[in-house]
Amino acid sequence: MAEKAILYDPTRCTACRGCQAACKQWNENDEVIPTKENAVEAHNWGSYENPPDLSPQTWLKVEFHEVERKGKVDWLFTRRACMHCSDAACVKVCPTGALYHHELGFVAYDKDLCSGCGYCVDFCPFHVPQSERNLLTGVAIMDKCTLCTTPGLDRIAAGYEPACVKTCPTDAVIYGDRNELVAEGKKRVQSLKTKGYSNAYLYGDKELDGLHVMYVLSDSPEVYGLPVSPQVPAAAIAWQDVIQPLGWALGGLTILGLGLNYLVAREAKLTKELPGKKEEKEE
Amino acid sequence: METEIERYRKPTRILHWIHAGAFVALFLTGLILFVPPLGVLAQDSWTRVIHRVAAILFVVAPLIYIPLNWKATLRGIKDAFSWGGADIGWMKAAPRYYFLSDEAAMPPQEHMNTGQKLWWLMVIVFGLIFAITGVIMWFAKTASPMALLQWMVILHDIAFITTGCMLFVHIYLSVVHPLMRPLRTGAWSSMVRGKISADYAKSHHAKWYDRVSKEKEAELH
Repeated sequence: MAEKAILYDPTRCTACRGCQAACKQWNENDEVIPTKENAVEAHNWGSYENPPDLSPQTWLKVEFHEVERKGKVDWLFTRRACMHCSDAACVKVCPTGALYHHELGFVAYDKDLCSGCGYCVDFCPFHVPQSERNLLTGVAIMDKCTLCTTPGLDRIAAGYEPACVKTCPTDAVIYGDRNELVAEGKKRVQSLKTKGYSNAYLYGDKELDGLHVMYVLSDSPEVYGLPVSPQVPAAAIAWQDVIQPLGWALGGLTILGLGLNYLVAREAKLTKELPGKKEEKEE
Repeated sequence: METEIERYRKPTRILHWIHAGAFVALFLTGLILFVPPLGVLAQDSWTRVIHRVAAILFVVAPLIYIPLNWKATLRGIKDAFSWGGADIGWMKAAPRYYFLSDEAAMPPQEHMNTGQKLWWLMVIVFGLIFAITGVIMWFAKTASPMALLQWMVILHDIAFITTGCMLFVHIYLSVVHPLMRPLRTGAWSSMVRGKISADYAKSHHAKWYDRVSKEKEAELH
């Protein structure tokens, strides 16, 4: 099946955060509003950005970056949520199969299978998976954007667009065949370049074998606060592709070796004892 | 009634069984994370809670034992790190002994033979690695940099693979190997009742037996 994707164009984004609200509404994620007596507890931290970070209840969040370019301040927006990598570190390290690759290319998630180990939290190059963890018992459960493929709330299977795309008033986020969106993204990057944005870049086209959320950037990724050439951590590869298979081999060989030893040693012991009947002589 | 001599004192035996129980619980609750079809068992974190309870036993039991049995601890650590020519003798004889059931091939051994010493050394080294990496992953999960946690996971896994394999070897050589008669003598008897027959001590731990019989009033524990 042809892979699907989201194309996000910050140059069209007004940061209305309608996608943030639609995401919460569709996926039934309540906002946690900190309150004090008879009032909302608010902290001014110098930005319209809210809440401060992703959380198990906030799968999508619009970020505001104030950047000085050509002597004036630019307000750059990004849509922070799961990037749905083709080469996904979280899927690689998830021990229960709760995180897996959807047939359309997304990183889908079966929350019921999550053990709360938090390996995905430790290994995601975008710091997307979030969990709230009881520091004493370790009980935790992760949550993240599923590109609206959460079982029971699966918009994609029903033939709809993801909630964030559906609600976007300026079409800054669009959904469709990944190949078509790559072509569209390249076209927009080209047009940005002709307008003088010489660093314009289609983020997600090549990163991690192709992301399923791509950005049309008017500047290089670090200006937008995005990791330049994100990688699956070397530790994840060493662990899952080398140490773990080696561990299985070692475990298998150990048991096999012990079984073999039993047969050989038993045979040797019986032949030794045979002439003198079965009683052990010197023990 | 054949004469018996004391091999492990009661505190040592209790520590062994608490540690063994905790380790098996830790091993099994850890193992299911590497068998994806068993992942359902890990749902809702409950095996991870068992893992933590067992981890407390695993760490606290030796911490209680050590100050109460200071001399035995020091001697044990010293033994674990004393390696020499005699160990080469064991290694040369081991294939004949363990595969051909040739008990005569084995040169006289100390209180711990080389194989036992190796396992004991691994228990100390990997026990420390387990405890340190485990404590970091437990209590510093949100505060540590990702790279640190990634390598803690890997170290914990390497310790798991190594000691997991050796656990099978340990159980096998203690109670399964054809030369073992677990209910009568040897490993099982020494760890359950604390005593072994003098004959067994003479034939399997001759150096230790000689030393002990010379010292007479058993300083061994």
